[in-house]
Amino acid sequence: MSGEPGAGRRPSYQARIERILDHAQDTRSLFLRIVDGARPRWTPGMFISISIPLADETRVRPYTIASSPEDGEPFEIVFNRVTGGAGVAWLFERKAEDEINFTGPFGAFTLERAPERELVFIAEGTAIAPIRPMLRRVLEQKPGPPVRLLYAADRADHLLFRNEIERWAMTHPQFQFETIIADAGHEALYARIIAEVKRRWVAADGDRTRHFYVCGVGAGVLRIRDVLRGAGYERRAVRYEQW
Amino acid sequence: MARIRILFESGEPKQIVEFNPADAPFQHDGQSGSILDVLLGHHIHLEHACGGNCACTTCHVIVKQGYDKLSEASEQEEDLLDRAPGLTPTSRLGCQAVVEDADAEIVILVPRYTINQVSESRDE
Repeated sequence: MSGEPGAGRRPSYQARIERILDHAQDTRSLFLRIVDGARPRWTPGMFISISIPLADETRVRPYTIASSPEDGEPFEIVFNRVTGGAGVAWLFERKAEDEINFTGPFGAFTLERAPERELVFIAEGTAIAPIRPMLRRVLEQKPGPPVRLLYAADRADHLLFRNEIERWAMTHPQFQFETIIADAGHEALYARIIAEVKRRWVAADGDRTRHFYVCGVGAGVLRIRDVLRGAGYERRAVRYEQW
Repeated sequence: MARIRILFESGEPKQIVEFNPADAPFQHDGQSGSILDVLLGHHIHLEHACGGNCACTTCHVIVKQGYDKLSEASEQEEDLLDRAPGLTPTSRLGCQAVVEDADAEIVILVPRYTINQVSESRDE
């Protein structure tokens, strides 16, 4: 803990990297197990704040837990290389058996249990991380609402956990899973997503009782929010997290 | 010079920071010139679990004085504040509230708790 004024008393954890999984050349999962036996509890959608020791300082960076609380340990974080991203560069250098320190879990973009209305998840690339445990949670809920996932990426190998999600779609008739792959750039990808959102959930009918959970990178997330709220969906029924 | 007086609900001694908003950023987390930026840049800790990216409420502060000297809250900040415990009409996220007035006199209270953390468990 810091000795600076205002330093909190949050518990910190030490975790060992039990396993590393590369989804693609630039996308990786780490599977973490707490070293000292004290285990954090979390709600689907939460993240941990990892201490990243750099040359002259320690920075704190958030990484969403991509696995389900129901599965316990090891728990999984997933990340991809980003230009100038010192945090992920450091994480990519970690090896199995290395240890990391973190606090949390934290987060306001969470889903404890499904609403009774149709639930729509929209995710892009690694931002499927919070959605994956949310999906698992709502699909195990009986009776559960209709659930849809629109998952977009610039490349097929950036659609993470695809086989798992497709299995869920086959075994849960209330769940529909659709993907968008568009490699014409980030803006074009979000333009495609927004076009689909408008076509499916704005123009198609007058139902405004759906609930949305949106997670992605950049201002496109806010544009999706604005489209949905502007179309008449309840403000609190449109939840989002912008990375 | 602008000034922020920081009160801690935890009972820690209050702190006072004097600074020139034009010198921002003071470090790298949060909006440049935000309360979080100013505090961290002057070695006063304020929780910012998401790295100051407007993705949690751990930097929630209650502005006791000088609310109108801060930048306007965005819809995204308001959405997050909805989920902050102890929300007040003058609540802000430290990472988003930018001190815009060079002569601002601001007083903030740092709450003790946040709902963004789930307590640890040793018995599972």
